[in-house]
Amino acid sequence: MSAIEPPTELRRGAVYDRGYRPYDGPRGMRGAATFALYKASIRRALGLRRAWRQKVAPFVLLAVVTVPAIVNVGIGYVTRDRLGDRFQIVTYRNYVGVSAALLLFVAVVTPDVMCPDRRQHVLPLMFARPLIGVDYVVAKVASVATILFAFSFLPQVVLFVGNMLVSDGALDYFTGHLDILWKVPAAVIVLAVHYAVIGCAISSLTERRIVAGASVIGLFLLTSITSAVIVGDWSVGKGGSAGALINVLALPLYLRDVIFLGHIDIDSPLNGVGWGGLLVLATYLAILLGGAGVLWRRYRWVER
Amino acid sequence: MRHLWLRGRCGLASRQPTTEPAERAAALPVACQTQTMEDGPLLRVNGLTKRYPGVTAVDDLTLELPRGRIGLVGANGAGKSTMFRLLLGLAHPTEGRIEVCGVDVEHDPISVRARLGYMPEHDCLPLDQTAADVVSTFGELSGLPARAARQRASDILDLVGLDEARFRPIGGFSTGMRQRTKLAQALVGDPELVLLDEPTAGLDPTGREEMLELVSRLGSFGISVLMATHLLDDVQQVCDHVVMIDGGKLVVSGGTQSLLERNGVVTLDVGGRVDALIAGLAARGITALAMDGVVEATVDGDEDMDVLRDVVADLELPLFRLSSRLTSLDEVFVRRAGSPS
Repeated sequence: MSAIEPPTELRRGAVYDRGYRPYDGPRGMRGAATFALYKASIRRALGLRRAWRQKVAPFVLLAVVTVPAIVNVGIGYVTRDRLGDRFQIVTYRNYVGVSAALLLFVAVVTPDVMCPDRRQHVLPLMFARPLIGVDYVVAKVASVATILFAFSFLPQVVLFVGNMLVSDGALDYFTGHLDILWKVPAAVIVLAVHYAVIGCAISSLTERRIVAGASVIGLFLLTSITSAVIVGDWSVGKGGSAGALINVLALPLYLRDVIFLGHIDIDSPLNGVGWGGLLVLATYLAILLGGAGVLWRRYRWVER
Repeated sequence: MRHLWLRGRCGLASRQPTTEPAERAAALPVACQTQTMEDGPLLRVNGLTKRYPGVTAVDDLTLELPRGRIGLVGANGAGKSTMFRLLLGLAHPTEGRIEVCGVDVEHDPISVRARLGYMPEHDCLPLDQTAADVVSTFGELSGLPARAARQRASDILDLVGLDEARFRPIGGFSTGMRQRTKLAQALVGDPELVLLDEPTAGLDPTGREEMLELVSRLGSFGISVLMATHLLDDVQQVCDHVVMIDGGKLVVSGGTQSLLERNGVVTLDVGGRVDALIAGLAARGITALAMDGVVEATVDGDEDMDVLRDVVADLELPLFRLSSRLTSLDEVFVRRAGSPS
């Protein structure tokens, strides 16, 4: 009995040169390129498609900023039958801007999104695409702002849903806190855009991430200290000083207070300053414009 | 809308180009289609000048280049990189205008960039990302939908010989692999013209040969190439048209074969009447030397060949042999650099 032999054609191997086939599908222009850069920057900031070490910082920080909400909801659940008044360790207003964690996040992520493009000379490749300097800046700032928004907003969602579920009546809680549904997103957008613009502007000035990160933290600390010195011996309830506006770190928190309360908080170092709310808004816009100006200046060369 | 996006999933699975230039133009936005001139010249440069403070990088350059593989040759600082920046619309000309594939760069740089691929000379890749990610991202930046960009990235990396290394971080790549990745990102958007700045820089002899082979194949894919280099051997090997610039000025532009044949030394055998021929040629401004009973004349283009013919005829010399000795592009460049045309 002879062995069964495979058909001759199956035994033959062949190496095919697959060649090249032109692309004939749809093609976008500036909008598509900007959106692609926005997505790529978000992936980079979150460490997606990169080594696991790159994922640690963003997701640990997300966990850190979510902890207060979980603790608050947990305590609320445990004490739901014992206390007359609902226990709260954090309010929605105070929870906008967990500053230390967010500051660290801005100092780590923003340089990582901006600096390598310049350091590794990737910019010429990007601007050889249908993309201009403004598109680049918009994509980068929007990506950082989106992540900051998400990392500030998600814990608020946890807090809101948790409080709603442990309350005596979920529907009553929901209808009783409808204002939260616009105040929190508005305050978080203010915060996210502020930190994103400042972080990107500073990071655009250097190609070294460590220098950019240190500069971001340095700016926040320096303005905080300077503001404290100018405001001087201030205590709650007494009149504050316009010098508090110098505090770049706290500026969006003053605006947050205006959004939640409709006026400057009585506990704020700006309390008692005439036209305080307008001054905060004007300073906030001036900083955004200044940051945008720095970014425009740094990336205008591609259009010369 | 979905069917439109699915069209982009074609990938690169066929062995030869199936899309004609007109179909490729149809895939471009309407604004681009109206200005497409598939049968026209690839590049049209008219009176182009670019001055920086204290230096003129490009000086009154006028050119018209056909589609194909073109070598842009010049010494360091000759203006090659400035030319690329001007072509990409990343620098504005001081005077003059450029058209790429029929589109005025100054008027519509975005449309021009959508048609171009660019491979810089220097390192320009994010080292902590994989080749697949980088090429795919640049595909999206070229305007391709995400899924099509991923598919094309995979196929192009296969084409340039990085199929097995595509999921490794670029930081661990050799120089040759990085050059291939740079070429892949330039090709992923399916450009009409790809600008290659010193593509063989830093490569060992084997890597250089492989890169030149890849560049040489691009022409058969329907992609035109403008390759800037100072290595004339590379140009001689893969390009069918050469543009030589020096100090921002045009030295010579023409077909590679034509330049090699028409420029150089021509040997004439006139049956021993060497002195008469040399004197006759000298009178018409052509340098010639006697060599083993024949005359070797240095010619420069068709006009000089006509002069040779006329002198031989005027002196009523017998012409037993007229042959041209092939020169290298180096000789052409050295000879022509002193007399810009």
